[in-house]
Amino acid sequence: MIPEGELLRSRVVSELSDSLEGALDRRLDGYAVLAPRDAILFDADGVGVITFEAGVPSMAYHTETDRGGPAALADIGAGPYRLELHELDADALDLPGRTDALDVPPGMPADRLAGDAALAERTRRIAADDADADDGEPDAIVEFLDDEAAIERIRSDARQQAAARADEWGFEDAI
Amino acid sequence: MVEAFAVASGKGGTGKTTSTLALGMALAEEYDVTVVDADTGMANLLFHTGLGDADTTLHDVLLEGGAPIEAATYERFGMSVVPCGTSLAAFEAADPERLRTVVAELASTTDVLLLDSPATLGSKSAVLPIVLADRVVVVLQPTIPALSDGLKVQEYALSYGSEIAGTLFNRVRGDVGDVTAKADRYFEGPLLGTIPESEAAGAARAAGEPLLAHAPDSPAAAAYREAAGVLDPRTGDADAVADRFRSAVIPEPP
Ligand SMILES: Nc1ncnc2c1ncn2[C@@H]1O[C@H](COP(=O)(O)OP(=O)(O)OP(=O)(O)O)[C@@H](O)[C@H]1O
Ligand SMILES: [Mg+2]
Repeated sequence: MIPEGELLRSRVVSELSDSLEGALDRRLDGYAVLAPRDAILFDADGVGVITFEAGVPSMAYHTETDRGGPAALADIGAGPYRLELHELDADALDLPGRTDALDVPPGMPADRLAGDAALAERTRRIAADDADADDGEPDAIVEFLDDEAAIERIRSDARQQAAARADEWGFEDAI
Repeated sequence: MVEAFAVASGKGGTGKTTSTLALGMALAEEYDVTVVDADTGMANLLFHTGLGDADTTLHDVLLEGGAPIEAATYERFGMSVVPCGTSLAAFEAADPERLRTVVAELASTTDVLLLDSPATLGSKSAVLPIVLADRVVVVLQPTIPALSDGLKVQEYALSYGSEIAGTLFNRVRGDVGDVTAKADRYFEGPLLGTIPESEAAGAARAAGEPLLAHAPDSPAAAAYREAAGVLDPRTGDADAVADRFRSAVIPEPP
């Protein structure tokens, strides 16, 4: 269904919050493959696939039940999982046969699979910002760069975050 | 020691590892260069350098009472390469703080240190390379998430007393002069280069070689050599620099 990406990590996880948050933080373009931990062959009982665009979940599919979207999330069910995270060019995720039936709302994997309402909310916010910015088109990028107020907001938010975390991380002497 | 650079981007997959090795090889013509995979949670420099089966890696050095840094240093492609392993258990056992000592030790034996950095600002270990570096090379792509995350990386670096060496636009298709000119207003340091989208990059990765070794005549390799020329590492006193890393994160705020 999806061209093969570059394997970033493969591990057993009991819960998905960290992995979903990691994908969001690194603005991953790619996909996660999820199997029950006990699966001996990676796809004996089928696997769930969740794709990410700039870190935001966009599609879900389950190979055994052949269902997509929210239904696929239900088929993936609860952990522990064997998880593989793959990176893939954003272009390659623009699948030719892509149908809306595979789409998942941005926050739903965090809600349903990780039970992490805060992460779901953060994901929805970032997704909304991205949608506003409609990425990829050169015009959209230039427009983004022309919005000095928005850029300044990104920068000052980051400065505040960096300062707040300096305490937490023991970097006080750096600032 | 001349200088420590972090090669960083907020977004994943922008080409940090490719760029670290390309800049490293180009600088190695003139300097004694060490590249370190400081992306200890999602290491992949080893696969770009044919070190996938290295016995000892940075993970072993970051353990308490772990291996000496020499044991995890490999001479490859005219550089000293310190790869990191990919096991989750090793990552969790490693003490990220020890990267400080590693950098201090390497600082006394090499001219230019390049730290391939993680694609997130979400944890202390992910941000440490940016804090430890003198200057940060910000790797961008002409996309909104990459630009906005690049801005965040810059603000973190400046907040923690590191300077910006410049920006590198990677995977560029066609003319992005508009974008680089406008981005230049917000980023410190010069535009080091625009690296074209190149099939040679993927082929090099598949062959386990840096781009400059695999396809030295490709336009992308030429663009990296030019970028390295703009970097212009600063000469400094080796002992003073090593002391600096050992004693504090950044000694004297400007
Ligand atoms: N100029 C380029 N043209 C085409 N492909 C490229 C180019 N630079 C890098 N790539 C490819 O993009 C992918 C990501 O590159 P790389 O691993 O260097 O990025 P990274 O920022 O280190 O990623 P990560 O965030 O996962 O550490 C690789 O498959 C690499 O071969
Ligand atoms: Mg990398």
